[in-house]
Amino acid sequence: MDQVQHSKPKLLWLQSITCNGNTHSFLNHPDLFSILSHFEVVHHPVLESDYTIADLTALKVPCDILILEGSFVEKGLTKNGVEVSQMIAHYGNEAAHIITAGTCATFGGIFKQKDPKHISGFCFDHEQQTKRYEQFASKLISLPGCPIHPRWLSYVLMMLSRGHDIALDTLHRPVELYGYTVHTGCTRNEYFEWKIDTKGYGLKEGCLFYEQGCQGPYTRGSCNKILWNDTSSKTRVGTPCFGCTEPYYPKNRLFVTRTNMGIPATMPLGVPRRAYLTLTGVVKSFKIKRFSQRLLEYDQ
Amino acid sequence: MKKIQIKELIEKIEGEAELDFTFRGGVIEDVRINFGFYRGIEEILQGKDAWDALVITPRVCGICNHAHLIAAVRAIEDGYRSAGITLTLSPKAQKLREFTLACELIQNHIKWLYMTIIPQLEAYLKIESEQNHAMKATYLSSTITRALAIFSGQWPHSSYAVPGGVTCDPTHLDLMQAEALIDESIRFFEQVVTGMSLEAYLSLTSVSQLHRVEADLGRLMHLIGSHGMAASGQSYDRFIVFGESMLSSSGKSIATAVSKVDPRYVEESVQEGTVAKAVSYKKRLYETGPLARGMVAKRPIIKSLHKRYKDAMLTRIFARVNEVGLLLAQSKRLLGEIVVDEPSCTLDMETRCVDFEGYGVVEAARGSLIHRTKVSEGLIKRYEIITPTQWNLSHGTEEEDGIAVHAMVGAKSIQEATFIFRTFDVCSVCTAQ
Repeated sequence: MDQVQHSKPKLLWLQSITCNGNTHSFLNHPDLFSILSHFEVVHHPVLESDYTIADLTALKVPCDILILEGSFVEKGLTKNGVEVSQMIAHYGNEAAHIITAGTCATFGGIFKQKDPKHISGFCFDHEQQTKRYEQFASKLISLPGCPIHPRWLSYVLMMLSRGHDIALDTLHRPVELYGYTVHTGCTRNEYFEWKIDTKGYGLKEGCLFYEQGCQGPYTRGSCNKILWNDTSSKTRVGTPCFGCTEPYYPKNRLFVTRTNMGIPATMPLGVPRRAYLTLTGVVKSFKIKRFSQRLLEYDQ
Repeated sequence: MKKIQIKELIEKIEGEAELDFTFRGGVIEDVRINFGFYRGIEEILQGKDAWDALVITPRVCGICNHAHLIAAVRAIEDGYRSAGITLTLSPKAQKLREFTLACELIQNHIKWLYMTIIPQLEAYLKIESEQNHAMKATYLSSTITRALAIFSGQWPHSSYAVPGGVTCDPTHLDLMQAEALIDESIRFFEQVVTGMSLEAYLSLTSVSQLHRVEADLGRLMHLIGSHGMAASGQSYDRFIVFGESMLSSSGKSIATAVSKVDPRYVEESVQEGTVAKAVSYKKRLYETGPLARGMVAKRPIIKSLHKRYKDAMLTRIFARVNEVGLLLAQSKRLLGEIVVDEPSCTLDMETRCVDFEGYGVVEAARGSLIHRTKVSEGLIKRYEIITPTQWNLSHGTEEEDGIAVHAMVGAKSIQEATFIFRTFDVCSVCTAQ
């Protein structure tokens, strides 16, 4: 019988217009090197790897999985004299899978705002498909987040390495990661249920959805299920969710909730306004003492 | 004598830089440093709500994002105060901010030591290493960023510092978990980095005692010393610090003479051929960062190294690693001092301040980071960010070469010069923004 040599998939991490936040977020993964041991890392922005940027620009580096970090621009961003868009097109064709790591690479993100006409995500511009979409859609996996969570990326990498199919939604996001909202698992959920807003920053009590701009109830992501740094999340430490995984991130006035007649203008994902108002009317008709008190007092 | 020009692309420096070397008679005579892409964060901020800077500016940089957050919140607080609002942070909020910032610096310095300096030195000296240095870097950096995230929610890209304090309200359990992670980091520093107890390490005051340092730092210093590299990479012997921190007060040091600084004399200028702007103080260039902090603080071990090697590579490298030890000891102390039932944030939710100008400075891993914001009717009219690497890595002004350029001039090879370049802990994204 012939012995079939299964070589490891070749992983190429390519940066476009970025802050390197996704790179550094992934370095936080506690199992980083055991995950990477399933791959041959041909190029990475900070880890030692087989090929340099000069090699990459010669367009001769082998690539099975392409990780893209950073917003996309057709012209004006070069490495070693070669347009990055040209490198992405080349390695995107070579690769069996393309992962857009982060909101910049996926939808355009913060850096899109410098030049909204020319800067976008790789296959999406906000929610709209770019002209590259048709060509690359069959191999595209979107991992929005500013930055990505290290375990979101390792989930995708390990699924690919095992040859499993990854179920995706219409924007190519893995449903196991983005089927939830950031609200799911938030430690302030009880206050949300009873429509009790927080009385200020720096408190354990109260929900941030009503005044402080929290976008958790309508932002897709598992930040409160798969905790950050295996420890916490924005909302758990009293910071509002800024909707950093969403196609239109960043919106303006991130610490303020937009309201209509005193009710948040954007409803929790999929919830009809009428249903929300009905529920609000009911819970607000009760005054529950526990929710007006501090969770814990140290001086009693 | 014949003049030769060589272009070299430097990578894995939080992006890339292109160095154009000019050699004459076998030594480097000039270097042009060209940083890549301008992302325009300052322009993106124009027209946004003043507080949005707390979310947007950390995205200048994936490795020092927390320092940007702290500079941004200080700029708003300074603006509020100058507009007449009384704003006093609780000791708890101040200590939490100091703690989380210290964690980020430790993360940064350790990554630089194990992912840049040691591997680059081994490559330069053609030493084959069996060790996975990056695994050491990520072990400590992920441990310390976990301690950071207990309070900030996440790292990178937290926005937990808001005008008046912080958004978190930690319990004793949180403090205890953070302390356990600091203890683990101290254990790593003792066993893997220095080979001695933290207490013994921090009591070193003179070059003559440095042979006691073992493990990776001992080996690094030995390699540099035994290959005759210790005294290379000298620059102007001028240092500057704008932020007040646990590591140093503000001031400048010309050689060893320390005096006061006034941030009004900081000047940015556009440079030809690169998107990075140069920064000077009263028309002169200064080095910023750990070596500057050590000199301005007159730290005995740094002064002793400086006395022998001036601002050469050994002094510069040691000063950065040394901060890891200092910060670990101080962050453990800070945790012990936090009183959990003090207020986390003292800003009244009803307070409105829509017209102000503010200045925020912070000591980031690579040196002094300055943010300036001008807000009118609640919206940002102008935002200015001056990063530490703009001080160290510009190609200079009309009068003098840049700090890193001057340090590289005289080197005999590109390998030697680029190693000197990396001793400054280069960050491409911060320099070009």
